[in-house]
Amino acid sequence: MMAAPISVRNVSRRFGETWALRPVDLEIAAGEFIALVGPSGCGKTTLLRIVADLQEPSSGEVRIGELSAAEARRQRLLGLVSQRPAVLPWKRAIDDVRFTQKIAGRVGFDPLKVLREFGLEGHESKRPRQLSGGMLQRVNIASAMAHDPAVLLMDEPFAALDEMKREEIGEWFDHELSLRPKTVLFVTHHIDEAVMLADRLLVFSPAPGRVIEVVSVPVPRPRDPSFRQDPRFVAIAGHVRDLLMHRVAA
Amino acid sequence: MPADVAMPTSPVRADGNGRARRILAWAARIATPILSVMALWYLAIWFSGLPAFVIPLPERVLEVLWVERAFIFEHLLATLQVAAIGFLWANLAGIGLAVLFDLLPFTRHMLMPAAITLRNVPYIALISVLMLAFGDSILSKTTIVALAGFFPVLVNTLAGLRSADEVQLDRMRILNASWWQTFSQVRLPYALPSIVAAQEITGSGSIIVAIAAEWMISSTGLGYVINHAMQNYRGDKVYAVALLATALSFLIYSFVHWLGGRLDWRANGERRG
Repeated sequence: MMAAPISVRNVSRRFGETWALRPVDLEIAAGEFIALVGPSGCGKTTLLRIVADLQEPSSGEVRIGELSAAEARRQRLLGLVSQRPAVLPWKRAIDDVRFTQKIAGRVGFDPLKVLREFGLEGHESKRPRQLSGGMLQRVNIASAMAHDPAVLLMDEPFAALDEMKREEIGEWFDHELSLRPKTVLFVTHHIDEAVMLADRLLVFSPAPGRVIEVVSVPVPRPRDPSFRQDPRFVAIAGHVRDLLMHRVAA
Repeated sequence: MPADVAMPTSPVRADGNGRARRILAWAARIATPILSVMALWYLAIWFSGLPAFVIPLPERVLEVLWVERAFIFEHLLATLQVAAIGFLWANLAGIGLAVLFDLLPFTRHMLMPAAITLRNVPYIALISVLMLAFGDSILSKTTIVALAGFFPVLVNTLAGLRSADEVQLDRMRILNASWWQTFSQVRLPYALPSIVAAQEITGSGSIIVAIAAEWMISSTGLGYVINHAMQNYRGDKVYAVALLATALSFLIYSFVHWLGGRLDWRANGERRG
């Protein structure tokens, strides 16, 4: 399925007098990778869940292509990757990928081929408990993409992995996206990860949630691991860090 | 030296020893409770000084079981029928209500107080009322078994249905799964270990409650046999039935426990690993 553009118009969420997310406007191009970065409780996940139609906004609307978020979800155009893998504990990896396709009523990819491409050859018949954290997250992503959604919504997908695994899976995922372009919304605490993967970063202030700056990373994807040493990477990551630190201090 | 002894054992020998040790351990596990119960039984006879119709010899009890096997078996079938039908009703009611409460939460507020009240009414009073309503019938006896057994099933199923992982439920929502798909593919499998755990209580409890109901109101079943034997000072027969009923409850409990292990997805990965 073709990646779809996302339009976030004046979307906010409040609980009584408390803002979980102050009004956000954002136009995301089809196939663009947007990272949402900021401290805990800043509204990143709230925005992601509103786009996913798992939560209602207090104001504004989200359009995915021509559709509302609810219509896009009903047409199974969305894929969700959470920090804790949503792989069913009693299913083998391959069956979990097929399960997505069965529920969505759409076979996006050959499950076996996808799992092998995801580096899981020989592990297709294993259950979640028999897989390492990195492998399990790959199965989780394979299952989330199995019905070939137009949009991938990812909530700190690599947060449970150690630093090395995190970089490795990030590089792999960047490469995967070049084969199967998706529009991605990616929530993370990790500044380097966001700069490495994203086309643009939405930098949030601490609660009450507000977007303080949209930072572009003007380097084409997929990116070589050496980009981490690139002066542009260092400058952008430093700028984002400054933004977050200074605002937190204020 | 201990190190020298431990090192050179061949794998085949180790396997053989391992198997023998497992068989021995298994035999000990069966024999120990039997032997300890027998020992306590004899000690009670010797030291209590109670007459034989109050505390008969174990061999006398086994003899009665054998000699009166046709009579006891006939009543055992009657008890099993009551217990089985009551058990099915308990599950139908318990699981059915849990699903209803889950699907339509307002029904929980309407019906849960009634369920709790029923749970706390003394069974003896219920048996008496049912006897008055339906007489000595299979309906009155199975109803009491169902009433005694449905509550643990209800509570455990409800808790089980709620134990489904939130990330799995989000996954089903994002895929626009139907209520039935989410229920059958995610919530019910998550609830299964809890539902099976409830059967350990309701399954073995069904036999005990069926016997109690028969003891009070019936002219069939093991409960009736106990009642009849008591009136004739046949302590040996009471013990024989008690032994049989205990063995039966224990067997049901063990079967459910074994089944629970097989159905519990939490153990699946490790067993195959």
